[in-house]
Amino acid sequence: MTTAIAGPAGSTRERAHANRTAPRLKQSRAPYLFIAPFYVLYVLFMLVPVLVSLWLSLTEWVGLGTPHWVGLRNYRLLATDVSFHRALGNTGVFVMIAVFVVVPLALLIAQALNTRGLRVRDLWRTAYFVPIVVSPIIVALIFGLIFDRQFGLLNSVLRALFGTGGVDWLGDPDLAKVSIGLVMLWRWTGYLTVFFLAGLQAVPKELYEAAALDGAGRIRTFTTVTLPALKPVTAFVVVTSFIGAAQIFEEPYLLTGGGPAESTLSVTMFIYRAAFQRQQFGYAAAAAVVLFVLVFGLSQLFNRLFGIGRATS
Amino acid sequence: MSATTSPIRTSTHASVRSSAGARSRRGLLYLTLVLLLLAFLAPLVWALSGSFKPRGDIFAYPPKLLPDPFTLHNYRALIEDQPFAQWFVMSTVVAVVATVVSVFVCALAGYGFAKFRFAGKRLLFGVMFSSLSIPFAVILVPLFVILVKTGLGSPWFALIVPWVAPAFGIFMMQQYIVQSVPDSVLEAARIDGASEFGIFRRIVLPLLRPSLGALAVWTFLQSYNSFLWPLVLVSDSSQYTLPLGLQTLFVSEQRQYDLVMAGAVLAVLPAVALFVLLRKQLLEGLSTGAVKG
Repeated sequence: MTTAIAGPAGSTRERAHANRTAPRLKQSRAPYLFIAPFYVLYVLFMLVPVLVSLWLSLTEWVGLGTPHWVGLRNYRLLATDVSFHRALGNTGVFVMIAVFVVVPLALLIAQALNTRGLRVRDLWRTAYFVPIVVSPIIVALIFGLIFDRQFGLLNSVLRALFGTGGVDWLGDPDLAKVSIGLVMLWRWTGYLTVFFLAGLQAVPKELYEAAALDGAGRIRTFTTVTLPALKPVTAFVVVTSFIGAAQIFEEPYLLTGGGPAESTLSVTMFIYRAAFQRQQFGYAAAAAVVLFVLVFGLSQLFNRLFGIGRATS
Repeated sequence: MSATTSPIRTSTHASVRSSAGARSRRGLLYLTLVLLLLAFLAPLVWALSGSFKPRGDIFAYPPKLLPDPFTLHNYRALIEDQPFAQWFVMSTVVAVVATVVSVFVCALAGYGFAKFRFAGKRLLFGVMFSSLSIPFAVILVPLFVILVKTGLGSPWFALIVPWVAPAFGIFMMQQYIVQSVPDSVLEAARIDGASEFGIFRRIVLPLLRPSLGALAVWTFLQSYNSFLWPLVLVSDSSQYTLPLGLQTLFVSEQRQYDLVMAGAVLAVLPAVALFVLLRKQLLEGLSTGAVKG
């Protein structure tokens, strides 16, 4: 309709040109109408709740009647609340497990699956991915039985192999964290492997050929070719894992109830408990705001560092 | 990205290196992969097998892989004595509606971001993308309060709400559209006088079919598997979703492990079936965005 695209649009160069001259649509309402449904829902169910959370966090409210304004009192209480500190610390541990155990393991598996000539790569990839399809509550229920002190599958296997069983997987404060870490490992590793494998397969093979010509060994090739090429994927995977682990709930809620002695209490569980078991809505909102600041702030920082999430086209 | 493309296939090196050492290394690789596979699948296989065992046998030592005696009692008890069908319908209907709405919203917005230039695009995209980093726990309390206070707390509506506008879906659509919808087709349609929405509906949507499938599976699973939100929202047991219902079997006085196992198997079936049907699109659709960054 405008001169720029009047010619027969065919060659790549012309297409690129047409794309660049698309600003003729600047006056058009079309793009705004396309994105409008999302923003309406976003404002209603995301932005407004976040703002309400901020406001609620400055009140004391039992869920009935009118919230009572208390200023920053909830935050001052949180600052000295041992349970909240534990929840933050535990969640930090879960985040560390996700980022420094699950992510590297996923990368290793992806690297193995990317071995040239590997048979039925798709089958492996699919099988490892399956756990993520299973609802977290079913995962927690099954693992609850696996970790059972007396009868659990894990202790049965240990007894058969080493003659020792009866490990109190969920009853010991340190082991309980390990158990939750194992469940995270089981749930997330295969899922993240899919991303790494896709990344590995997108590395131009010329780079590997060049490295081979230069006489680079396995490790050098990995550090000089593979890792840099994987940077965008790694960034994405790390940020996603971070956000996922920072809001862990089902596993501690169902497996340990946050115990023993709050050793697996997560921040999300703390928020849930405050609001829906203790009717401290304002206090729960304040904890939620702290979580928001931490997660949102850190992931924006990561995004900026790695340069992900910019509009492309 | 298919299984046949091996990015490091360099014919010369392949022949030079196929020595005995490489063969044993390969054997080790397969062994590791098989062991890992067992670890990944064992819990599910154990649950499957347990669902056909009488209660006393589930914890028999040593654990039996094959149920003997084999019984369907757990399934019968679950379906006849528990409102399992009700839970199932609740979860499925909610997830299907959420999926249909969400896929449409995401395709629209993804297309808007992929193929147009407009004032404020960078900012709007950034706002959308950054909502990925808002933990659900942050909106949990206020969303509950808002929906209940405005009378919109009915599970049929409120259970759907959190899944209808996922930024992840928009990002996925946007990446896919940039790569696979040629501008020339759009321009040609414009020259023919097609309306913008007509172009979207008749040209773009059909081209998006593979990635729409991926997004649909993803959204369905998110909603179908969700636990925290239904836990907070639904108090009436006749409106329990599957995860809530299964949880009641687990936390009841006598832990009904046998029923839990049967329920877990039945609940997971639709999810696994969907995944098997659309796994190729899903696995590849998921990673398109991440690879390019």
